[in-house]
Amino acid sequence: MMNKALYNFYIVDRSYREMYRKEFDRNLAEEFHSADLSDEERLIRRFELLCEKEVAHIHDFEKIVMLRTNKNIPECFTDGEWAERRKNHYIHENGYVSNLSPNYAKVIEKGLLHFRKDANEYGVRAIDACLSVCDRYLEEARKQDRQDLVKIFSQIPRYGARNFREALQFFRIIHFFLWLEGDYHNTVGRFDQYMYPYFIADIERGVYTKETALDLIEDFFISFNKDSDLYVGVQQGDNGQSMVLGGTDKDGNDTYNMLSELCLIASEELKLIDPKINLRVSKNTPLSVFEQCTKLTRAGLGFPQYSNDDVVIPALIKYGYAPEDAINYVVAACWEFIIPGVGNDIANIGALNFPAVIDRAIREAIGSAKGFNELLERTRSLIFEECDKIRASIHDVLVAPSHFMDILRDGKKYNNFGIHGSGIASAADALVAVKKYVFDEGSVTPERLISALDSNFESDAELLHKLRFEAPKMGHADPEVDKLAGFIINTFADALDGKTNCLGGCYRAGSGTAMYYLWHARELGATADGRFASEPFGTNFSPNLFAKIPGPISVIESFTANDMTRNMNGGPLTLEFASSIFNNEESMRKVAELIKYFIMRGGHQLQLNAVNLDTMKAAQKNPELYRNLVVRIWGWSAYFVELDREFQNHVMLRQEYTV
Amino acid sequence: MKATIFDIKEFALNDGEGIRTTVFFKGCPLRCAWCHNPEGLSPAPELYIKKNGCRNCGLCKKDCRHPECKPFGRCIHICPMDLVSVAGREWNVNELYDMLMRGKAIYESTGGGVTFSGGEPLMQSEFLFEILEMLRGKVHTAIETSGFASENVFKKIASACDFVIMDIKFISGELHKKYTGCSNEKILDNAKWLIRSNIPHLFRTPLIPTITDTEDNLRAISDFIGEEKIELLKYNTLASAKYASVGRVFDLNISSEEVSIPNVSFFKNATVRK
Ligand code: SF4
Ligand code: SF4
Repeated sequence: MMNKALYNFYIVDRSYREMYRKEFDRNLAEEFHSADLSDEERLIRRFELLCEKEVAHIHDFEKIVMLRTNKNIPECFTDGEWAERRKNHYIHENGYVSNLSPNYAKVIEKGLLHFRKDANEYGVRAIDACLSVCDRYLEEARKQDRQDLVKIFSQIPRYGARNFREALQFFRIIHFFLWLEGDYHNTVGRFDQYMYPYFIADIERGVYTKETALDLIEDFFISFNKDSDLYVGVQQGDNGQSMVLGGTDKDGNDTYNMLSELCLIASEELKLIDPKINLRVSKNTPLSVFEQCTKLTRAGLGFPQYSNDDVVIPALIKYGYAPEDAINYVVAACWEFIIPGVGNDIANIGALNFPAVIDRAIREAIGSAKGFNELLERTRSLIFEECDKIRASIHDVLVAPSHFMDILRDGKKYNNFGIHGSGIASAADALVAVKKYVFDEGSVTPERLISALDSNFESDAELLHKLRFEAPKMGHADPEVDKLAGFIINTFADALDGKTNCLGGCYRAGSGTAMYYLWHARELGATADGRFASEPFGTNFSPNLFAKIPGPISVIESFTANDMTRNMNGGPLTLEFASSIFNNEESMRKVAELIKYFIMRGGHQLQLNAVNLDTMKAAQKNPELYRNLVVRIWGWSAYFVELDREFQNHVMLRQEYTV
Repeated sequence: MKATIFDIKEFALNDGEGIRTTVFFKGCPLRCAWCHNPEGLSPAPELYIKKNGCRNCGLCKKDCRHPECKPFGRCIHICPMDLVSVAGREWNVNELYDMLMRGKAIYESTGGGVTFSGGEPLMQSEFLFEILEMLRGKVHTAIETSGFASENVFKKIASACDFVIMDIKFISGELHKKYTGCSNEKILDNAKWLIRSNIPHLFRTPLIPTITDTEDNLRAISDFIGEEKIELLKYNTLASAKYASVGRVFDLNISSEEVSIPNVSFFKNATVRK
């Protein structure tokens, strides 16, 4: 039974946000600057000051406690200092640590004092600040005579967790302080694996039944939503609280367990955008798991997202990850593959604009080219050129210190950089159209094509129709386009292969777009796939928005046609289904079978949406009536009405398969 | 050999077991008042113009040089919104075979296959027989039929496929004539034969409010089929959506409030599909 009081307080009513939160209004950056403090000192001091201000609030209806009362995290550096830092360094996003997955398993098992003895000065101070806040919770628990919490906070986080409830509360504590440190996109990792020992011991001892365990998990899931509006991102919802379930172990066994199942059920019942559920699957995953997952898909949250261990793990090993680390992979905020505990990768450091490269190659080679191969060669050298440019721009990476995060990690073993690739379908569709009409058939002259593109097709409606609606597209399962997509993908991998980044790691080519499906598209004119100037690309590894698609099977076949093991930074194929198809068991099973088909064909990552266009239209008209409508954006889900129009409209344009 | 086909749908969810591809043959001898595939009625290719989104730019009405547009008086290669197209094109039997066989792996792993629907697939029975023969033993095949065909044709096709889905709309010949324009004599004879045969099959009745969903009609159907399995399909008010696109008029006026599931408890072996 869902805890209604808890749900109402945090999800519906939300007035605690105004009641409890206080602005931190000191200008720390100026203070730190005048005192000429080191980066290390600034970060720890900010953390200590914020911890000092945290006020403990406990409500009688909640089991998992802690909510943030600092409304904002003040800057550590002045604008002038940032400008200075940017002069000599590459500053990724906002310059603080993000998209990492700490070693939750170890910290929850050992307790913070265990780490204190070997920590450096800053680590010790971070742990002490953290304990002081937790002691305030202990005091408050005593005051309210909450014996359960008194017991818990007398043990954790100083010492390791002794049972499931303590382990969950411990997680909440860690996560809370990571955000308070200013780290962002803090992921959840393999939750059903590191929590399982606590969970199963309590189930076996009879502390919980499946039902009461579910209640507790739901209580815990709600805690991800207590402060999430304070977490930075491109839009509300983009906060990286990604949870990974299931996965193959070193002996090839499927580790999906009772806790994984309960997490799926909790997410389905609560219908909240956090935590975001990811499933690690393989050819050994039974259909019943996909059926359970499809129930969650029906809830319309855009979860779960699947990644295929059969292809991801070998690909990570190819990049140089140790096999024992590769089998332990998780996803970063959206879909980038990272390693918990030892990873220090920056998985989203740059992006290549495929359609822009192809457009340039076409313009440069079309007139003079002796044949299509010359255009391909031009494409190849331009992709290399662009990748070299991206690499050259990323030097002397400087990330602000993160003392608390560092305690939770066993070093920084991997320092690889991930580069997204946006608009693959638009790029491949453009290439195939030029091949077919200009080179093979000769039905369109180079001059006609270029002048149509330059006029944004104003001058040539017939050519627009041909390119946009009649030409082969990715998603048609047409071997010719898919082969060209493979050419682009492989060239991208070649261009980054063997190159070392400034932290000594490698580069990983990806199939994700993040927000580049809008950004890259905005700055690009009309393209030979029949795309208008500024018209957005598809998100991630997906067909063009306007492509006429025979159905999801053809899409799956197109998008699994190429070996992706050299492009394994992550980025899923997205399939949109009309929500009406989820209204009977038989169709649900067919959707599950479709997912299995994708995995069996060696697809690397997949994400399904249940969408209802009519509901979205209605929500645009009457947002106040649709506060709980959730949609998937590119690697995260959000409340539809909280999104900017541009994002809303893009979601509404995506391909949707009806019955 | 060629057939006119107006659509091929992947991942068809309501046309039988497993993951299936459905082929829609163009042309139907019936004219059911509730038909939701008006572009499947006429056997010939016809213009299909979507109205939603038209900018009235007039481009499609200008003269063009495409011979394939000539018979239709509209250019089908110019609309910037892709609203103008032709429903129905000729498929060569080998071409269709190749296209369907591409799905063999997924049909096999999910217990699915190919379904031939329409319109009325039995109207192009020679082609249908040929493709069924080509697919026999390779992929599971099913047909969806109104059963309106001569005894010979019906038996020949039903025997050539793995599964038959057949509509029973009315038992009363008079009502059948009134709402579909055709007699149901042949249909009921074919249904009787199908019941006696050992061909796996399923009957279906569309629940059209106040028309087929009356207690009299449903009881008569129930008596007619006895223990046989039947699916009762809830009416979808979107049925009218495509009529204007092919220049037809939809006369049935049923609002979504009128759609409800009648009492069907007297059926021995029925499921209701929503
Ligand atoms: S070309 Fe398209 S948009 Fe223009 S008038 Fe014809 S149907 Fe309408
Ligand atoms: S038999 Fe089917 S296709 Fe033919 S008119 Fe009736 S509903 Fe339409």
